[in-house]
Amino acid sequence: MTSNWPLFVTLRIVRLAFLLAAVAVVAFMLAKMSPVDPVQAYLGPAIAKVGPEQQDLIAQKWGLDQPPLTQFGKWLGNVAQGDLGTSMTYNEPVADVLAKRVRASLPLMAMAWLLSGLLGFILGVTAGAMADTWVDRIIRTYAYVLASTPTFWLAIVLLVVFSVGLAWTPVCCAAPIGVLPQDVTVLERLHHLILPLIALTVLGVAQITLHTRAKMIEIMQSDFALYARAQGASLADVAIRHGARNTALPAITVLFASLGELFGGSVLAEQVFAYPGLGRAAVQAGVSGDVPLLLAVALCLTVFVSIGNTIADILYHVVDPRIGATPDMEIRP
Amino acid sequence: MTMPISGTLSLIAVSLLLGVSTSALAAPKTDLVLAIGGEPDEGYDPLLGWGRYGHPLFQSTLLTRDAHMRTQPELAKSWYLSEDRLTWTIELRPDAKFSDGTSLTARDVAFTFNHAKTAGGELDLGVLEQAKAIDDTTVQIKLSRPWITFSDFLFTLGIVPADSYGPEYARNPVGSGPYEMVSWTEGEQLIVKKNPYFYGKQSPFERITFLFTGEDTSLAAAFAGQVDVVSVPATSADAPPTGFKQIVVDTVDNRGISLPMSADDSKTSPDGYPVGNNVTSDPAVRQAINLGVDREQIVEVALFGHGTPAYGPADGLPWSNPEAAVDHDPEAAQALLEDAGWTVGTDGIRSKDGIRASFPLIYPASDSTRQAIVISAAEQLKDIGIEVVPQGKSWDDIERLMHANPVLFGWGSHTPQEAYSLYQSSMGGQGYFNPGFFSNPQVDAHFASAQAAESLEASYPHWQAAEWDGQTGYSGKGLAGWAWLVNLDHIYYVNECIDLGPTQIEPHGHGWPITSLIQNWTWTCD
Repeated sequence: MTSNWPLFVTLRIVRLAFLLAAVAVVAFMLAKMSPVDPVQAYLGPAIAKVGPEQQDLIAQKWGLDQPPLTQFGKWLGNVAQGDLGTSMTYNEPVADVLAKRVRASLPLMAMAWLLSGLLGFILGVTAGAMADTWVDRIIRTYAYVLASTPTFWLAIVLLVVFSVGLAWTPVCCAAPIGVLPQDVTVLERLHHLILPLIALTVLGVAQITLHTRAKMIEIMQSDFALYARAQGASLADVAIRHGARNTALPAITVLFASLGELFGGSVLAEQVFAYPGLGRAAVQAGVSGDVPLLLAVALCLTVFVSIGNTIADILYHVVDPRIGATPDMEIRP
Repeated sequence: MTMPISGTLSLIAVSLLLGVSTSALAAPKTDLVLAIGGEPDEGYDPLLGWGRYGHPLFQSTLLTRDAHMRTQPELAKSWYLSEDRLTWTIELRPDAKFSDGTSLTARDVAFTFNHAKTAGGELDLGVLEQAKAIDDTTVQIKLSRPWITFSDFLFTLGIVPADSYGPEYARNPVGSGPYEMVSWTEGEQLIVKKNPYFYGKQSPFERITFLFTGEDTSLAAAFAGQVDVVSVPATSADAPPTGFKQIVVDTVDNRGISLPMSADDSKTSPDGYPVGNNVTSDPAVRQAINLGVDREQIVEVALFGHGTPAYGPADGLPWSNPEAAVDHDPEAAQALLEDAGWTVGTDGIRSKDGIRASFPLIYPASDSTRQAIVISAAEQLKDIGIEVVPQGKSWDDIERLMHANPVLFGWGSHTPQEAYSLYQSSMGGQGYFNPGFFSNPQVDAHFASAQAAESLEASYPHWQAAEWDGQTGYSGKGLAGWAWLVNLDHIYYVNECIDLGPTQIEPHGHGWPITSLIQNWTWTCD
């Protein structure tokens, strides 16, 4: 049984490698096809004072004067040697930009992800178990409203209510205004994390709640649940012993599948709260045609989402031992 | 519903723990918080373009401008352009020191100029031949041709230390400016403190924090009482939070319509896009447009009153000609069109030789202010029999269409080089410069005399003559290559206790330029 694990890991790694290559090629092509002229984007309003010779010099400095295929080949060669290139936007090695940004984004995204999973699951199970009661209606309405709320709007509302109106939370940033990074305490960091975290969590909850609820209703109406009720088990008993266990699987799937979405949400939340994370770097790279940074972010995300899916696959077997002892074997040719 | 309540309680607890409150300050404030945007993603390296707008903070420049745009010495004690206009000789003040305590010498100045030329940044020093240190305090800058607008760099290029400059410089700037960097959290805030070695006037503010939040967030921070100066979009103006005053700054942040000058004879630009327009190629039409638009009304309608009428690309700056302004006069516009043979048809729109006086007016679709300006102008021009069809496009489309169609652009900067780029005939079709292929030998001749002038001040009359010399010029009175419409006001909410002093006319770009005279800011409460 355990002898299949090396094969599983190898298969996954090979698959990831192919995926990364495909993502790199597509992302590069899209970036090159986009109407954004990197030199013009780099110059911005300064274009008013910069003549054609200087523009050529800039293009030359960043290798933009070479044919796209050569550019891609060079980039690939450098990546193979572990060099992700230099970001034109930030005038800094891409690896440094990524490291800084991931450090800021990771706690926010990880906490939002865990919290929204947990909260969404609890709400979904409750709503499903008590389907069509007032509890269910409240939870459902809440989920529908949230599912259709734009993140940036919710973020601004939170900001206006809690930071401006009530002055309980800070208006911006990952640290207090005017305090040096080394003087910021953990408590202050948490204080600054509250609003972005709420904004992200509250939005992530909706999806998981609705999926869990649907599955839960199905289970509560199944023969075994009915049988358990007939034997005298209470609603809570059935919901927890049978319902929650069986809905865990779809909930986990949705939770891991939502990793990409979580990233999308954090782009907007980071923008509003001036939280300098990966999302803002990605936006910046996109609008300024900063190809090395854009590719690095795309690859980073691919790895991130792919690992998430693999974890979901593995968790399936932990949660439900009935699924084959070694994951992934059914796709063997 | 116990969740929200316990959540609320924990929020209160956290707030209490952190002592978040807005207590009144008794002593004069020495720490400022500004939310005026302007974060340079690539760092604070003057060689790559930092300091183009406003004050470079960490570095100082050779020359500077006061509130009335008059030239003032800064690092330079004296400056002099040779007889052949090819060599600037600059005498430096001997007491300038970098914030690491080392002396600033002519070697650093020469290094800065020579490296800025080859750095591949946002500065175009193509005309620079070489900068050379003659002795510790004298530097000689040689140009390849007479070019007075090279002096822009004496005002904007911050001097960096030759010995410690390197790839890390942009994130750890060292300079001779009034402030030195304490910390920069990218995307969030920049904290600076006074440079103890600064040679100039000492600011009363020991420490300044620049918040790099978005417009909405910055405004929210002002309402929460956490910032002292915030830049405000016109749509949010006129409602300063308590404790703030509204400061309105005049600008050359202009919006104007480029009017293609040649007829459409199937010529194309170097990039292969069509050039020329059969309606705007008639000078009478271009002048009539300038006479027919009511600029005051556009300011009222499209800018909510927060702007001024624009008559040229640099209104109010010393190189612009106040004589070039044209009054709103629809009757004169009508007469002009009538005389040129444009007769009114049954639908009220004029035509001549089978050509209808009708054209699309293109603007970037993402900009709602520009849209409002275009729509107001279109309504006004209908009254003189010209049909203008507003069309919102992407910048990508605009690049293809701008040589053959009128486009609403925004310009405005602290250099006469801009007028040169917009109207010099050889600039036609080079990027966004001179999109309408304006070309006129007299205007070119005035530009040539300006570039060959003996000093920047001596060049001003030539720049003015290019705009309007009594007979002709590029302005609406003359050949009317553009119809300039409005200059946008820049609005700031400023803590009531801060006196910004007189402000400069600000360039395109709202926010950072307010720092250009930051050394004059004072705290007026105690």
